[in-house]
Amino acid sequence: MLLLGIDVGGTHTDAVALGPDRIEAQVKVATNHDDLLSSIRNALGEIVRQTDPARIKQLNLSTTLSTNAIVEGKLEDVGVIVSAGPGLDPHSFMTCKDFHVIPGSLDHRGSETKQLNNLALEEAISSCRKSGVKVYAAVTKFSPRNPSHEKAIELAVGDNADFITLGHQITGRLNFPRRIATAFYNCAVWRIFNNFADAISGTLEEMGLGHIKVNILKADGGTMPLPLSRKVPVQSIFSGPAASVMGIIALCKITHDSIIYDIGGTTTDIAIFVGGTPLIEQEGINIGSYPTLVRALKVHSIGVGGDSAISILEGIVRVGPTRLGPSIAFGGKTPTLTDALIWKGSCDCGDIGKSKAGFAVFASKMDIDPEDLADKAIENAINKIHDSTRELVEEINQQPVYTIHELLENRRIVPRKIYMMGGPAKAMKMDIFRKFRLSTEVPENYDVANAIGAALTRTTTEIELFADTERGVMFIPSLGYRENVPRNYKLENAEKDAMNHLLAHLGEMSVAADGANALITSSSSFNMMNGSTTVGRNIRVKCQIKPGVVRTYS
Amino acid sequence: MLKAENSLGIIFFPAFDWAISPTHPEREERLLYTQDQLREEGLFDIEGIREYKPEVAETVDIERVHFCFPEAEAIATRSHYISAGGAIKAAELVMQGERDRAFALVRPPGHHAMKTVQGSRGFCAINIEAIMCEHIREKYGHKRIAIIDTDCHHGDGTQDVYWHDPDTLFISMHQDGRTLYPGTGFPKDAGGPKALGRTINIPLPPGTSDAGFMMVMEKIVMPILDDFKPDLIINSAGQDNHFTDPITNMNFSAQGYAALNSMLKPDIAVLEGGYAIQGALPYVNLGISLAMAGVDYSHVREPGWNPITLKEPDDVMKYIGMLCDSIPDIYFNPPKESNEGIINGNWSVRHRTIFYDTEGFTESQTESLLLCDECRGLLKVETQKENGPMGFGIEIPIGACDKCRNTGYSLLEEAQVKSKYRYMQMINRKDKEYMRYGF
Ligand SMILES: [Zn+2]
Ligand SMILES: [Zn+2]
Ligand SMILES: [Zn+2]
Repeated sequence: MLLLGIDVGGTHTDAVALGPDRIEAQVKVATNHDDLLSSIRNALGEIVRQTDPARIKQLNLSTTLSTNAIVEGKLEDVGVIVSAGPGLDPHSFMTCKDFHVIPGSLDHRGSETKQLNNLALEEAISSCRKSGVKVYAAVTKFSPRNPSHEKAIELAVGDNADFITLGHQITGRLNFPRRIATAFYNCAVWRIFNNFADAISGTLEEMGLGHIKVNILKADGGTMPLPLSRKVPVQSIFSGPAASVMGIIALCKITHDSIIYDIGGTTTDIAIFVGGTPLIEQEGINIGSYPTLVRALKVHSIGVGGDSAISILEGIVRVGPTRLGPSIAFGGKTPTLTDALIWKGSCDCGDIGKSKAGFAVFASKMDIDPEDLADKAIENAINKIHDSTRELVEEINQQPVYTIHELLENRRIVPRKIYMMGGPAKAMKMDIFRKFRLSTEVPENYDVANAIGAALTRTTTEIELFADTERGVMFIPSLGYRENVPRNYKLENAEKDAMNHLLAHLGEMSVAADGANALITSSSSFNMMNGSTTVGRNIRVKCQIKPGVVRTYS
Repeated sequence: MLKAENSLGIIFFPAFDWAISPTHPEREERLLYTQDQLREEGLFDIEGIREYKPEVAETVDIERVHFCFPEAEAIATRSHYISAGGAIKAAELVMQGERDRAFALVRPPGHHAMKTVQGSRGFCAINIEAIMCEHIREKYGHKRIAIIDTDCHHGDGTQDVYWHDPDTLFISMHQDGRTLYPGTGFPKDAGGPKALGRTINIPLPPGTSDAGFMMVMEKIVMPILDDFKPDLIINSAGQDNHFTDPITNMNFSAQGYAALNSMLKPDIAVLEGGYAIQGALPYVNLGISLAMAGVDYSHVREPGWNPITLKEPDDVMKYIGMLCDSIPDIYFNPPKESNEGIINGNWSVRHRTIFYDTEGFTESQTESLLLCDECRGLLKVETQKENGPMGFGIEIPIGACDKCRNTGYSLLEEAQVKSKYRYMQMINRKDKEYMRYGF
């Protein structure tokens, strides 16, 4: 039985086929940006030639399709219909020209404080129809506490839409501006993503792989089944760094607070693990012009990589953040970090002779000893990585907490180990070790760790449950679930319900119930008073399938 | 994307695991809906607005300000240490220049905690603003500070802490003490003999709304501030003037609170009271945050807001107008003598009994200020919780003259020898020496 992983990266598309105890095939092909499908088809073709297709059970795919569409602005026109009520002016969060604000509002407990204005809604829809809009986003303030206004908008839009995103379906977490942006992006990439999904299914069919289950990687270090991804394509953005981080988890046994570096051509991605678990961004990822509610691993990128150009300004040697073409070793003109590593004998790649000669010429032009130049360049790169890491750890340690218990317990992250991957990882290992004085590991197969990570990443999901016992309701916004509960409904009931719904949701996605990895991430219950009588409890429970891999592989 | 005109740090610490009691207004749920509102508005995504974790105050931060009997640890819970630490964090953000302004949205509050503390009063145990201000002065040198208390209750604690300090201007606007706890805060209370006109009380009639508050700001607060020229303006931001607050009778709104802060331009605001936890706090806190950051707050509206029905009747406005005519004079032409205390030799002496409503006991206290021509004067306190042991406190103020300083030490020595007191505390701001004795 084989698990396939494909990571479509900026330069290369990496693919692996993993057997029960070894990598049975691995491929690296160039990524064709104008036709991502062809890159995937090429990689798959190679894998299928090296293995028995009948043994393939699953394909996990990380693709830059949605990310690129957003970053390059290749977006379909969206009709965005919002209602906000009091607070910040919703026009401040206008994402596109067909943006309509409808009078109507809900408060923080989900009570309607103003009815949705149907007349204004009809006008907004007819205006969108006139502009030829076919996809719609409906977002109302506090919809995770009461989706009825969003549902009313959906009903009114009706047949005008090929697709509609309702804000509360994205997540139960609060943040109205981010919910608007996320719903907008989800609609704007919906068609392009669905065409791609059709093409993937078609290709697999053609290749005799129609039987395999396809999952799409998400930025939070989990996957979602292809059929589900068709409704939430925005969840596939920025899954590349997540694949790499998952690769490290698969290849190394991480138990301490740790730092992960993925050193690529132009950037170094830094991720932090607490114990064995990667940290998740508290709110969501930023993309294009807006922050979103898309859950993501906390990954910090800095402009230092193997291809980062070396420059000297006022006598100070710097590496990056610009990339002026490849290293001299690979036919470039300006020396890079890789060339400096080659000069020092740490790295053995490309045309060594050419690299060293070019490096020496550059040094003499700049009137500096080449040995000195190489040392200073590497030192500068290491210092940048070091300083950014310290800042990131400090930032994480400064993150707000809301209870006395959390504050006094003061769980500070203190990294004890470093894991490195990516092209220059091996060459920089000793320099990193000398700077940090922490045990530093570069796993075997670090060059295809991203594809391995993709292959082994398990399906994740997160839900939030709210209960208001004064009203006698319990609801899970992202599942669109609502039920009446008795007045004596308690936190324990809520926790149990949340876990059951989480597992049932996985079941619906045809993922085997993953009880061992399901966990409650936060839960609280507040007494609600009226005068001096307790009228009910406001209960909030969050639970998730922990990001991780189905098995480690080393 | 929205961008703040002034960078703002918000220390949001709802203390979700602390309450005075399960049904007390000061309970876990108090800032729950504020958190929901700030989150849902995406407040922390506005460029320039950032959320910070509080610090935890140290005992020395408390003992620099208060005479605590038997000791700070016995009076202040961990939540009080964190609440004070939240205010300190706000100060640090501003003093270090990391933020233009800061808002400590923390609980529990502190403005009813007096100079001498034996327990909890009006939900307060230690005075978080005073602890913050004295932390600033200790670390960043002497500063002229104005504290504007906009809580609906008279800030009797803060008034007491700064009663003798001419470098701290304390202005409290509040619902008239004849109609609300703690029953104090009248214009005649203008400060101790060495700080006359530095305490300004503005008792407002029940039903005062936005127009009344803004008139007070324009005609009393701003002209006095313009003259006092403080290095720092602090808003002791109680939100119980709101028309929905369950324990008060005022008609102030979220728009009003925001407009007030927009005019006041405080460097630091610290949350005090405010117990309409669903209908007011989320909106008022949002309004104040936006006003401090210089972001448009005109769309902030609480449910049930109707400016016409909330508007104060003409006679109320006329009464407030009268206050506006007379109160500035207290600052500009302060009375010659303090309305409290008698002169005994070269000491000004006040005998007082203080009721601790949260815990239900009375403290009797004798406070004496050594009238000195060279400095602000040495402060001495003798105190006794009903039937409890005696406590003795002595404070050598910032900028004390040598004579006062030496007198302070000999009085402390004398007190030790007499062994009349079970607890003794010395606050020496001049040499930054803080000592306590007792068992
Ligand atoms: Zn960062
Ligand atoms: Zn109050
Ligand atoms: Zn003196």
